Amino acid sequence: MKAAWVGLGLGLALALQTTLASMLAGAGAPVDLVLVVVVAVAIAGGPIAGLWAGTVGGLVQDALSGGVIGVGGLAKTLVGYVVGQFGSRFMIARAWQQLLVFFCGSLVHAGCFIGVYSLLFDEGMMTSYGAVLTQATVNAAIGVTLAAGLQAGPGAIERRRLRRRNLSRRFGG
Amino acid sequence: MIDLRRRTGALLLAVVIGHVVVISVQVNTASSVRVFEAVTFGLFSEVQRGVARVVGGATGFWNGYVGLRSVQAENDVLRESVATLRFRLQQERAVAQRVRGLEALLGLRRDIGFATVSARVIAGDATPYFRTVTIDRGTGDGVYRDSAVLSPDGVVGRVVSDPGPRAAKVQLLIDRKAAAGALIERTRAAGVVVGDAGQGVLRMEYVSNLEEVQLGDVVVTSGIDGIYPKGFVIGTVEVVRRGPGLYRTIYVRPQVEFSNLEDVLVIVREPASSTTAAGGE
Repeated sequence: MKAAWVGLGLGLALALQTTLASMLAGAGAPVDLVLVVVVAVAIAGGPIAGLWAGTVGGLVQDALSGGVIGVGGLAKTLVGYVVGQFGSRFMIARAWQQLLVFFCGSLVHAGCFIGVYSLLFDEGMMTSYGAVLTQATVNAAIGVTLAAGLQAGPGAIERRRLRRRNLSRRFGG
Repeated sequence: MIDLRRRTGALLLAVVIGHVVVISVQVNTASSVRVFEAVTFGLFSEVQRGVARVVGGATGFWNGYVGLRSVQAENDVLRESVATLRFRLQQERAVAQRVRGLEALLGLRRDIGFATVSARVIAGDATPYFRTVTIDRGTGDGVYRDSAVLSPDGVVGRVVSDPGPRAAKVQLLIDRKAAAGALIERTRAAGVVVGDAGQGVLRMEYVSNLEEVQLGDVVVTSGIDGIYPKGFVIGTVEVVRRGPGLYRTIYVRPQVEFSNLEDVLVIVREPASSTTAAGGE
């Protein structure tokens, strides 16, 4: 997997996260698009790709947000690595399998993120289980849709190319 | 030479240690890694500005041309004038309070005039866990760290971190780390309003159980924190009960609708040119 594509994906996710996601979902935007990209990269590229995607995406996200730099980076690094290891040992091809991985990845991320904040500050992160579950569900839904789109994309282009070739052969265009 | 590509565990350990070092350095000094933060924020705010412009342009095109063209334009003008009037009403209210208060009794005269600059929200927070927004004004417009950010409805938040030349990060009042000195307008009972992002409401702390507080009481800024000007509306009391210790448990419903913030006013050091609102008029 090329680093440029991963960088582009992370950049796009950050741009959408900071503009559209918070606008659409209001103040309590229950989605983490950067995490979705990190998990997708880890599934497709393995633990090393997941680790670096998590590190870069998490650190940049931390720098842009109001929190401590490194907490999100650490959480996403761990999630990227663990999902990558899991993906390199098991087949994650079906939609329900991907849904489960995105969902569990989001829960692990939330656990790490909130856990580190609880260690650092007395008041912790003050978030509810419901919010964490909602976010994991939304992340999983978006992740599966993204994965399906990425799988269908190259196939659709190839089919269109073949169709054009057949037409040009038939009509001599 | 060690091939880190094969030793994934070692690489993970190294990266995790790096993160822990970065976190611990910040928590100890609370001031490092500014360069990384500033560069990332500066660069990405330009991307956010571009995306916000594209999104805003598309939305504006749809609303202004595809939708009801004339009605939309008229509505925009009316909304703007209503916002200006509401903001002035709040200013007048603040002035009236001061006149009624101790300053008038003591014959003190203070100038409450402050310059404000209008700003557009160009991005939300990068994570779902914090409540910050990015605005399209920075040091070039007179915005400084801890500049108060207001809206016609009331208090929005303050500028955190060192703002960039053309953008600044604003911590909303509902962020879990945000706080402001506050007063119950009716009784003048003082306390501190803190954010409670999970619930989308504010908590008012340090108001004695002996103080009389009613549902619907208006909570305004006290000005004691040196950030927010005195007398601006924060919200209304939604829940009030006797606390277990010395203080009451009070929840305040914010006056500002944080979920759809678009335009705000920022208090700046120097009066800006054409965009300056009539803060001290």
